[in-house]
Amino acid sequence: MLLGTLVLANLKMIFRNRQALFWALFFPLIFVVVFGLFRLDEPPTTTIAIIDRSQDDLSRELVRSLSQIETFNVYEHPDEEKARDELREGTLRYLLILPEGLARSVAANSPVAVNFIYDEGTPTSAVVIGVVQRFLDKANMELVKVDPLLKLDARGVSARHLSYFDFLLPGFVGMGVMTYSVIGLASVMAVYREQKILKRILATPLRVRTFFAAVILAHLALSLAQAAIILAAGVFLFGGTIYGNYLYIALLVLLGNIIFLNLGFIVGTIAKNVNAASGLGNAVTVPMMFFSGVFFPTENLPRFLATVVTYLPLTPMLDAMRGVALDAMPLWEFPMELGLLGAWIVVTSVVAVRIFKFS
Amino acid sequence: MEEVIVVEALGKHFGAVTAVDGVSFSVRKGEVFGILGPNGAGKTTIMECIEGLLKPSAGRTLVLGMDTQREPDRVKERIGVQLQASAYFDYLTLKEILQLFGRFYGKYVSADELLTKVDLKEKANTTVGKLSGGQKQRFTIAATLVNAPEVVFLDEPTTGLDPQARRHLWEFIQSIHQEGRTVVLTTHYMEEAQFLCNRVAIMDRGKVVALDTPTNLIRALPAPYEIKALVDGKAHDGRLEALDCVVGVRHQEDGTFLLRSSDAARTLPALLGWASQAGVRLAHLEVVPANLEDVFLSLTGRALRE
Repeated sequence: MLLGTLVLANLKMIFRNRQALFWALFFPLIFVVVFGLFRLDEPPTTTIAIIDRSQDDLSRELVRSLSQIETFNVYEHPDEEKARDELREGTLRYLLILPEGLARSVAANSPVAVNFIYDEGTPTSAVVIGVVQRFLDKANMELVKVDPLLKLDARGVSARHLSYFDFLLPGFVGMGVMTYSVIGLASVMAVYREQKILKRILATPLRVRTFFAAVILAHLALSLAQAAIILAAGVFLFGGTIYGNYLYIALLVLLGNIIFLNLGFIVGTIAKNVNAASGLGNAVTVPMMFFSGVFFPTENLPRFLATVVTYLPLTPMLDAMRGVALDAMPLWEFPMELGLLGAWIVVTSVVAVRIFKFS
Repeated sequence: MEEVIVVEALGKHFGAVTAVDGVSFSVRKGEVFGILGPNGAGKTTIMECIEGLLKPSAGRTLVLGMDTQREPDRVKERIGVQLQASAYFDYLTLKEILQLFGRFYGKYVSADELLTKVDLKEKANTTVGKLSGGQKQRFTIAATLVNAPEVVFLDEPTTGLDPQARRHLWEFIQSIHQEGRTVVLTTHYMEEAQFLCNRVAIMDRGKVVALDTPTNLIRALPAPYEIKALVDGKAHDGRLEALDCVVGVRHQEDGTFLLRSSDAARTLPALLGWASQAGVRLAHLEVVPANLEDVFLSLTGRALRE
């Protein structure tokens, strides 16, 4: 079949264009590897140096229980002067000073100040101070031997263990598909026009729609391969988890990719040459990459921006894909997202057909 | 004689610019027909209207009896088209491109056969980007033959080639012609038109200003010959201008006289007679026929390549 032959020829060209293929596969894979290696969601351990001036039973007991807090790495610093220097130089971030005669003061029922000195430049300092504060509160109550009247019983309600990496993985799929389809196709179209390949095709009896159908089918096939490779790398190499149906994910990839391919056609038509095509393609994709929720949920954006990005094509694609992948929801639970994608498909198709030129 | 292409009152304008202005001509079966003219004369526009790539603003074009506008696909099935300075897919080999293009047609020639014909058999598995300029042009000609077309259109096939590669390509074009195909080509090289074409349409500013065989076009000139004579000594009197059939005389620094003649066969004996009478020795004597360049100059008052 002619269409099959053409699709095959297009796939051959895609795979032989190593530079474009690099952007299609390795660019998103780099993100998978980087975020897979540095697990950003696991709390980092905090090192706290302690100067114990009293060296009595109570102070030792405090140091011992503080070091039992999982995320704290506690050690006694032998030299207070040196410790303060290290704090100023930034090699030490937290210093807890237990004053002299701690047990004696407590026995005499007189309040004691426990100094906690920290580096203000540390982003997590507020959290660490809070933990230390709670620790001291607890110690206080034990010392005065009262049971707390109000107890916080915190229990997470997430049924599944979702990590930040799991959240990122569908984002990388969307980003990879978008980047390659918009920039890749725009460049290919610019080259075809610049080198009169489209015109040469027009000089044969081949139907123009057959030619473009083959280009689109080949790119759709590639986008599925891209998604499969990104997901496989994330799941098998870095322990990411996909809870939902892979078929729904594939469908979302195809729906989204039709929009991106249309955008690629449009960019390739507007751009004067290949360089302009790739520049303009970047101008289209980079804002979506940052604002449509590849790296962080769009709810974190300022209200106005969040509203705007809701309507960009990548946002509904990622929202639906995360719903499917992370919450194991069926595709039809996302009528709003599917509607937005459908609207984008219609609009971009009409524009692409309208503005398309052969030469 | 059977007419393969008929162009009737063809007009094409792009916005306010008129590229082709009411052109009519026909091409006969089996001839090499040249469209000669400077850049911007409208040569490519005419070709692309005939091929069905451009919609004419006025008039019509018939190819093998079919109206290009009404039956573009049937026309395209039977013609071969080489576009000016066009390329082919970067990431397919020569053989793959020819096979792919062959599939666009109802019938097609094997890629190997085509590549053998244009001496590129050993390049079958390389890409177009690795070919030299001449090889590239030969390949694009091979690609026009993929459907065994009856009419082949070549748009400036030798532009940008060195003289040797140009000669080489001329031979290929002649061999296509010898296979019984009609060839239509555009060029702005008069020697190319003179060498290859049975008939030439000379175009200027969207119009055909002359159409005939190269020989007839040249013969129709007021002075189809130029006689170069290098004269020993400083002999010059007004008598040279008065020689039989002389249209004009120029003389160069080195003592050479250039006599433009309407009939060399009558001017030459007169010149020799003058020389012996005046006691002048002719150190060098040469008769140069005029060419299409002179035809263009005399028709338009401008040189072909400006």
